[in-house]
Amino acid sequence: MGRPGLNRRHMLAGLGGLTVAGSFGFAALGTGADALASGARTRVTYWNLFSGGDGYNMVAMLDAFRAEHPDVAVKDSTLQWGNPFYTKLAMAAAGNRAPDLGVMHLGRVTGFSPGRLLDPWDTGLLAEYGVREADFNPELWRRAVIDGKLYALPLDIHVQLCFYRKDVLRKAGLLGADGRMVPPASADEWFAMLKEARAATRKGLQTIGLWLNDQNFQWWFFVAFYTQLGGTWFDEARTEVTFDTDKATQVLEFLRRHVTDGYADPGFGGGAGAEQFLNGSPFAWEGNWSVPVFDTAKVDYGATPLPPVFGRPATHAESHAFVLPHRSGRGGAANEGAHRLAAYIVRNARAWAAGGHIPAYTPVLATPGYRKLDPQSEYVSAMDHQATEPKAWFAGSTGILAQRIGPVVVSSTMGSAKPDAAARRMRSTLAGLLAMKNPMDGKTAAQGGAAA
Amino acid sequence: MTTTSAGTVIAPARARTTAASATVRRKQGLQHGGWFVAPFLVLFALFVVWPLLRGLWLSFTDANISGEGASFVGLGNYREALRDDLMWEALGHSAYFTLLAVPCITVLAFLLAMLAHHIERGKWLWRLCFFAPFLLPSTVAANLWQWLFNPGTGMINHVFGTDTPWLTDKTYAMLAVVVTTLWWTVGFSFLLYLAALQGIPGHLYEAATLDGANAWHRMAHITLPMLRNITGLVVALQILASLQVFDQAVVMQDFGPGPEGSTRTFVQYTLEEGFTGYRVGYASAVSIIFFLIIAAVALARMWLLRNREEGGR
Repeated sequence: MGRPGLNRRHMLAGLGGLTVAGSFGFAALGTGADALASGARTRVTYWNLFSGGDGYNMVAMLDAFRAEHPDVAVKDSTLQWGNPFYTKLAMAAAGNRAPDLGVMHLGRVTGFSPGRLLDPWDTGLLAEYGVREADFNPELWRRAVIDGKLYALPLDIHVQLCFYRKDVLRKAGLLGADGRMVPPASADEWFAMLKEARAATRKGLQTIGLWLNDQNFQWWFFVAFYTQLGGTWFDEARTEVTFDTDKATQVLEFLRRHVTDGYADPGFGGGAGAEQFLNGSPFAWEGNWSVPVFDTAKVDYGATPLPPVFGRPATHAESHAFVLPHRSGRGGAANEGAHRLAAYIVRNARAWAAGGHIPAYTPVLATPGYRKLDPQSEYVSAMDHQATEPKAWFAGSTGILAQRIGPVVVSSTMGSAKPDAAARRMRSTLAGLLAMKNPMDGKTAAQGGAAA
Repeated sequence: MTTTSAGTVIAPARARTTAASATVRRKQGLQHGGWFVAPFLVLFALFVVWPLLRGLWLSFTDANISGEGASFVGLGNYREALRDDLMWEALGHSAYFTLLAVPCITVLAFLLAMLAHHIERGKWLWRLCFFAPFLLPSTVAANLWQWLFNPGTGMINHVFGTDTPWLTDKTYAMLAVVVTTLWWTVGFSFLLYLAALQGIPGHLYEAATLDGANAWHRMAHITLPMLRNITGLVVALQILASLQVFDQAVVMQDFGPGPEGSTRTFVQYTLEEGFTGYRVGYASAVSIIFFLIIAAVALARMWLLRNREEGGR
C-alpha cells in the first residue's frame, strides 16, 4: 500500500489553483468582474427603471460615457419599473447594499426618506462636472431640494400630451396657418373642436383616446385640469386640506363629458386609444413616451400640452431624476464617478429627448439639434407650466395618493359615481392621507417640515 | 413440564428481550427518522414558524420597510384596519371571487371527470387536455386570457360578436379573472375526482343495474354519495385557494387594482400597504387578520362536516 501521490507542494499548488478558479468564479458572479475585465480605477453601480425605447437610449448614452471615460467602469442594471423598483431600492438602501447611483421619479423623492434612504448630492462636485442650479427650470430644482439639500438631479420632465392627427384635423379645418392645432380657450371650444373632428373621422373610430379606465392617466389628467383652475391641495402648514370640491367637480364633469357626448368610447380602454390613433382617430391623450411609437408608425401627427380649457395652461408633469441611494460609507472615487456619470447624462440629454422626454438641463433645449426635433419642440413649453402632485411623502408616480385617489377619478369618468360625490370622496381621501404618519419617520405631513 | 416450566421461565425472558429490542429499535428509529425529518423541520421553522412569529410581532409595531426605528403600538394597527374601508372592500372582492369560483370549479371538475372516466376512445388525450393548463405558470395563463378578453382585438368578443369591455369595466373585470382561473386550475380538482371515480367498485353499478336502476339513479345513489368525501376536499381546497387569489388578477390588470379597484384582492391590498406604502407593521396586522379569517373558514368547514357526519350516524 503506497502513499498517496500528494505532498505539501502538490497541496499548495492545488490550493493556489482553487484560489484562481474561485476568483474567476466570483468574477463570473459579477463581483469585481468589470473591474478585472476593464482594469478600471473606479467602478460605479447604477440602477435604473428604463425599458423599451428609453432603455435603448439610456444604454446608448452609457456607452457614449464609457467611450469618453475609460477610467470609470459603469455596471448598470435595469429593473422592473414602478413599485417593484422602489421596493428594491428602499431595501437595498436600508441594508447598505445600494448602488452608487439610482433613478427615481421626482415626486417620490419626498417620501423616500431623504437623509435616511437617500444621500444628498454634492452640488460643488456637480458644478465641477458642468451642472449648476442655474441650468435648470427653477420649479424642477425646487422640487428636488429638501431641507435645503439637493436630493435629486432632474434628468427630464415627462408630460401628458394632446396628440393630434394632422391629416384628420386638416380635413376638419382645425389646423392653423403653421400646420399645427389651434389650442382651444375654453371647454366649449374644445368640445366644438371634437365635434368637427368627429365629422371628419372614419366610421368605427372614436374621436379621442383618454385611458378612461386607467387610474394613473385619469389622475394625471385630473391634476392637469385642476391646476388649470388654480386648485390647491393643502395649506402651507400641511394641517388643512384646501382641496376645492367645486373646482374638482368641474374637472370631473369635463372628463366625464367626453364619454357622455360619445367622443371617447369605454370599449376602447387602455392602450386601445393609441391603436385607434394609429388607425385614424383624430386625438389621443398620451404620455410623451408615445412619440417614438407614433414616429415609427410614420403617422402624420403633432403634439401639444393638454388643451388649456380652463384658461390657464397647465399639463401634468413628472420627472426622472438621478438619486444617490444611501450608503454608510458614501464618498471616494465611486461617489465621484456617480456624480460624473449623472452630470454627463444630464448634460447630453439630446439623445434622451428622442424618447419624447423634455430634457431638464435647459441649455440642451436651446441647441439646434433639439429645436429640429418634431414634435418635441412643439410641446417644449410644457416645462413652463407643470402641473404636479403636492410635495408630500404620500405623493408621486404610482404612490399611495395615486393609488387611493385614481380609482375615484375613474369611477366618475366611467359614470359609476357622480362627479360631485367623487369630489367629496377625493377630499376625504386627502384628509385621511394628511393625517397619516409617514412610515419612514413616524411624522405626519404637518410634522415633517420641508420633507413633509 | 420442563418444557412448560422452561417455557414459563423462558417466555418472560424472551418477552423482555423482545420488548427491550423493540425499545432499542424505536429509539434507533427515532434517531434515524429524526435525522430524516430534521431538514424539513429546520426549513419549516426557518421559513414558516419564524416569519409567522415575526409577522405577529411586527403587527404590534409601526415598523417600516427599512426595519429601523419601529416602536410598539399595541393594537393600534388592528384598530385602524377594522376601520379601513379599503381593507373591507378588498376582502369583499376576494370573497366575491371565492363565491363565484368555487361552485364553478367544483361542478366543472366533476363533469370533466365524468366525461374522461366514461369516454372510451382517446382517454389519455382528454385527461391531458383537461389537466394541461394547470401546469402553466399563472403569468402565462393570465397573459393568455388578457389577450382573449381584449375588448378590441380579443377572440372572445370576436366569437360572440359583442363589444363587452371585459377587462376595463368593473362589472366584468372579476368575471374575467374567474373564467381565467377556471380554465387554469380546474385540472387539479378534475384529477382528484377522476381518481375517486376510478375507486368506486364496479360491482355496485352492476348490482344496481340488475335491480333496475337507471343512469340517473346510479348517479344519485351511488356516484354522488361515494364522491362526498372528495367533494368536501375539493370545496375546502378551492375555498382556501380562492380566498388567496392574487397573481392572475394582478397580471390581467397590468399590476393595477382593476377598473375602479374592482379586482384589488386582499392579498394585493396587503402587498400595496407593505411595499408601496412601506407600512410593514400595518401590513402585518392586515395579514394576521386575513390569517384569522381563513383559519375561521377552515374551522367552520370542519365543524359543519363533523356535525353532518354525526347527524348522518
